[in-house]
This record gives sequence, C-alpha cells and structure tokens, in this order.
Amino acid sequence: MRRALRRSGRVVALAIVVFWSLFPLYWALKTSLSTNSAAERTPVQYVVTHPSFTAYQAVFGYGPESSEAAGGIARSLINVTVEASAATILTLFIAVLAAYAFARMRFRLKTVVFYAVIATLMLPVYATLIPLYRIMSDLGLVNTYVGIVLVYTSGFLPLALWIMYNVFMSLPPSIEEAARIDGATTLQTFRRVVLPMVRPGIAATAIVTFLFGWSQFIFPLVLSSSSSTEPLTVLLAAIDSRDVPYTLLNAAAIVAVGIPAIIVFFLNRWIVTGITAGSVK
Amino acid sequence: MKAAEHPDRDGLMPVPTGSLQQRKRPEEPKKRASRWAFLGLRRQRGRVGHDGGLPYLMVAPLAVCIGALAIYPTILTAIEAFFRVDPLTPPNRFVGFGNFSAILADSQVRQSLENTGWYMLFGVALTVALGTAIALLLRRPFRGRGVILAIVILPWALPGVVEGVIWSWIYNPTFGVLNSVLKSLHLIGQYQLFIGSHQIETILLISLVQVWQITPLAALIVLAALQSVPEELYEAANVDGASWHRVIRSITLPLIRPALAIATVQALVMSLNIFTQVYVLNVNATTGASIMSTTYFTTFQSLNFGEGYALSLLATLATVILSIGVVKILYRKVDYS
Repeated sequence: MRRALRRSGRVVALAIVVFWSLFPLYWALKTSLSTNSAAERTPVQYVVTHPSFTAYQAVFGYGPESSEAAGGIARSLINVTVEASAATILTLFIAVLAAYAFARMRFRLKTVVFYAVIATLMLPVYATLIPLYRIMSDLGLVNTYVGIVLVYTSGFLPLALWIMYNVFMSLPPSIEEAARIDGATTLQTFRRVVLPMVRPGIAATAIVTFLFGWSQFIFPLVLSSSSSTEPLTVLLAAIDSRDVPYTLLNAAAIVAVGIPAIIVFFLNRWIVTGITAGSVK
Repeated sequence: MKAAEHPDRDGLMPVPTGSLQQRKRPEEPKKRASRWAFLGLRRQRGRVGHDGGLPYLMVAPLAVCIGALAIYPTILTAIEAFFRVDPLTPPNRFVGFGNFSAILADSQVRQSLENTGWYMLFGVALTVALGTAIALLLRRPFRGRGVILAIVILPWALPGVVEGVIWSWIYNPTFGVLNSVLKSLHLIGQYQLFIGSHQIETILLISLVQVWQITPLAALIVLAALQSVPEELYEAANVDGASWHRVIRSITLPLIRPALAIATVQALVMSLNIFTQVYVLNVNATTGASIMSTTYFTTFQSLNFGEGYALSLLATLATVILSIGVVKILYRKVDYS
C-alpha cells in the first residue's frame, strides 16, 4: 500500500516536471499554428482546432501576412547558423590543440597560462563587454562575422579547454607511449592515435559550444545588430517590441527553438557529459 | 563530511558511516600533494623543453585569443572605471572614484541593485530547490527516464530571448494564458498587468523565466553527484529502517554537498547577471531593471562609458567574490571509501 502510494506520488511529480518543462513550448507552438483571431480569443483555447500555417509563411517572407517587421528572419537564421558553427569549429580547433599540450607536454609557463585561461571562466559578461565593443569598433569589426566569431570563441574557449583537458587526462598514457615506441612522431601520435580516442569528448564539447553560440544575445546585441550579421535572437528581441501579430512572434520563436530541440532530443547523452564535465570545476 | 564526523548524531545506526571512518586507506603513505595536484600540472620534473617548440605552437592561439579578448579587456575595465570616458571627445580624463560616487548616487542604479538582490534570492532558492527535487526524482533508472531527461534539459538549451518571448505571451495582459487560468480559478477578478506594475511581482515572474532556463543545469549537476553515492549506504539505511527524509538528511545531503555548492554558485552568478529575460520582458519599464540591464542602458544608450565601466567593475568583483566565497563555505571534498 505504502509502496503503491509512493509510486503514484512519483508519477505525479514526474508529470509536473514534464508539464513545467514543456507547457511554455506547447503554448508557443499552439499559438503559432492558430489564426490571429483564434490566438486572441478570451478565454483562451487550449488546443488548435484548425491549424493554420500563415504565421510560418510570414516568417519566411511569403503569404498574406508577411510584413516589413518580419522581414529578415530568414537572413538572421543564416547569420546565427554561420556564427555559431564558425565559433564552434574555431573553438574546438584551438581548445583541442592547447588541451593536449597542457595534458601531455612540458613547457615553460604552462601552469600560469592554464590557470589564467581557466580563471576567465569566472568572469561575467560585464568584465569584457564594453572594452570588447571598443576594441572591435577600433578594428572595424563591428557588424562583421569575423568580429562576432572572435568574441564568441574567446568566451567559449575556457570551458572547451577545461572539458578537453579532462578528456585527455583520463586517457591512459601507455597507448601513446606504445605508438611512440613504434616510431610515430608526436604529431602522428596525436592525429592517428589520440584524436580517434577522444571523439566522444570532442562531440560533447562541440555540441555544448554550438548551443551556446546559438543562444548568444548581449554580445551580438552590442556587436552585430545590423541586418547583415544580426543573429535570430537579436532580431527576435527587436520585433518583440514592434507591433507584429502574436502568431508570427510565436512562429519565429518556434523556428529558433527547432535546432536546439533537435539537438537535445537526439544528442542529449553528449550534452549531459558536456555539462557535468564543465560544471564540476 | 558531516555524516562521518557524527555517526550517531541522527540516530542512524553507525554501520555505514562508522565503517566509512575506519576504512580511510591507512596503507597508502601520504604524499605531499599540493592542493592543485589533481590538475597534474606538477609533472614537469626534469628538463624543461623536452618537447621542443611544438607545445608553444599548440598553445599560442589559445593564449593570444584569451589574452587579447578576455584578459586585456578585463584589465581595461578595471582601469577605465577610474576615467571619464567619452568616445566622442577623447582623451579620457582621470576622475578617481568619480564614476563610482556618480553611480551610487543614481537612484536608478540603487533600484537595480535592490532588484538584483531579489533576482538572486528567487533565482538561487527556486533553482537549487527545484533542481535537487528533479535530480532526486530521476536518480533511479526507470522506463522512459531517457526521454524525461531530454525533456528536462530542453529549456536549458534554448536561447534566453526565445524564452522571454514565449513567456511574455503567457504573461500577456489581454490575451495571456496565465490571466485566463487565474480568472477561471477565480483567483483574480479581472485580467492583470503582471509585468511592470508591481516591483516584487515583476521580479518574481521574470526570475521564473530564468529559473525555467537554468534549473536543468542544477538538476544535472546534482544528479551526477547522486549517482556517485554508493548504493550500499542506502541499503544499510534501509536495513536499519531509516525513513526517507532521514536518509536524505543524513546520507544524501552530506554527500552531494559539493554538487549543491556548484549548483548554488552557478545559479548565483547567472541570477546576478540576469539580462536577457529582463531586456525582453521588461522592455519599456524600469520596475524590474537589473544591474546588467542598467549597465547596458547606461553605456550603450546614454553613452556614459565611464559609469558603465564602474558598474561593470563592481559587478565583476561581486561575481568573483561571491563564487569563491560560496565554494569556500559549501565545498568540501567527499570521501566515499
């Protein structure tokens, strides 16, 4: 009896957790599929009876409701994809090389450089926001892909380094020693022996980094708010304060949710690895 | 570790905890390990430069990137906070603590300081409590746990702006679902303006959006710690007939304390830095302004860079001190052996 009670208590608690996590997203999806008049009915309707895709057409610039305000969503989707991907590739490249050196090689100033980089994990956005804006405007890199990708990379590097460093440290050195005895050079060992072994770690780091890149807001708000480089987040915040239909706003939100949601549902194993490795400092 | 120090304190039989104490690996001679030895940076004995120039090449991109785009800007913030900075009329003038006294005299800054205190209170309390509860629910394997875990992680992976947009529609004063639900439950007589009319209410509702986003992180951190607690401890407690809340209090909580410390610091830092949710949900009102949003508007709308720097420096120091402080208080290594 007590067991059954506890069991049903668990089920209820889990149902609440699922509801809490999903309801806001369901509500946005429901609104995005409604017609404007259905979305603005009171009291609210909890399900869509006749789904309408006009809001999604408008998001991509087609159909009767496409407007000036919604223009640029497709472009900003391309922008965020380019920026997040480029930052992820650059971050991974730099972090993997450096992490391997920190984990396996001897060189001067190793400890100092390592701690200096890891310490920047603690820095909040405030510490660098204003100077980065001024540095980037001095260099003429405001509103360019290069500028925003460099800033993202500098922000994502410490965490990526930390995760990859732990990944390399968890490898038994004996395999590399065996490769060296067989006559492989350091670089050959790294490329042919070590890299294939750490693919899961690289995947986890890449996924977490990409998700960070996709979500960035304050840096692009300051550094790339022209339509040629602004990511979806910045555009969404801008049209939120304009007078656009709620259905369109929610459709744009659902579009922005799409990629991260797909990543979470198919690759969540890697995310758990990445988050827990990154947070246990 | 509390449980090991006071094996009998909670009336729990000393079987698990007592043996914990005795089996502290006496056979292993104590190495003189530095506090940071776990990082393995001390393996440099012998000739330095054994690997030649290669490691420098491998670390150089990292060093340049972090040096130029993280450390140099931070130093710049620390210096320029003491200058009057106007990008239109250089050069900058040294003003000592002028910027600091200016921001502290600014009523809007003081308001945002107070608001941020509330954001931190709500953010930390709700995130850690909810995160721990979710972690406890997901501790043992069951059918469908993978799917539920993915659902739990989902809000963490989404952009804060999107979440702000979604929740502002939920809070909408004329068509929002929150109004509709509260009205049909007769909790409110008529539709309310939730955001921007009442300070604490505004802050709580904006904070809730952030809690929705960061709770998964706390849950995952605590879950990882829960799963490393040896099952025998629970079995022993079960044999002794300990009630579930006693088990949580005497076994679980002491053993996951480091994880709670980390989850607390994460929530603390994120709520101290709350910006996106405030920016999106509270665009035209100052009721819920946070330090970060005030810094942003001071700097990039009023173009008062000096005061922006001063605010940034204070907030950075607060973040760093708080993180170190909480870790010092709560974080102690746990020995399961």
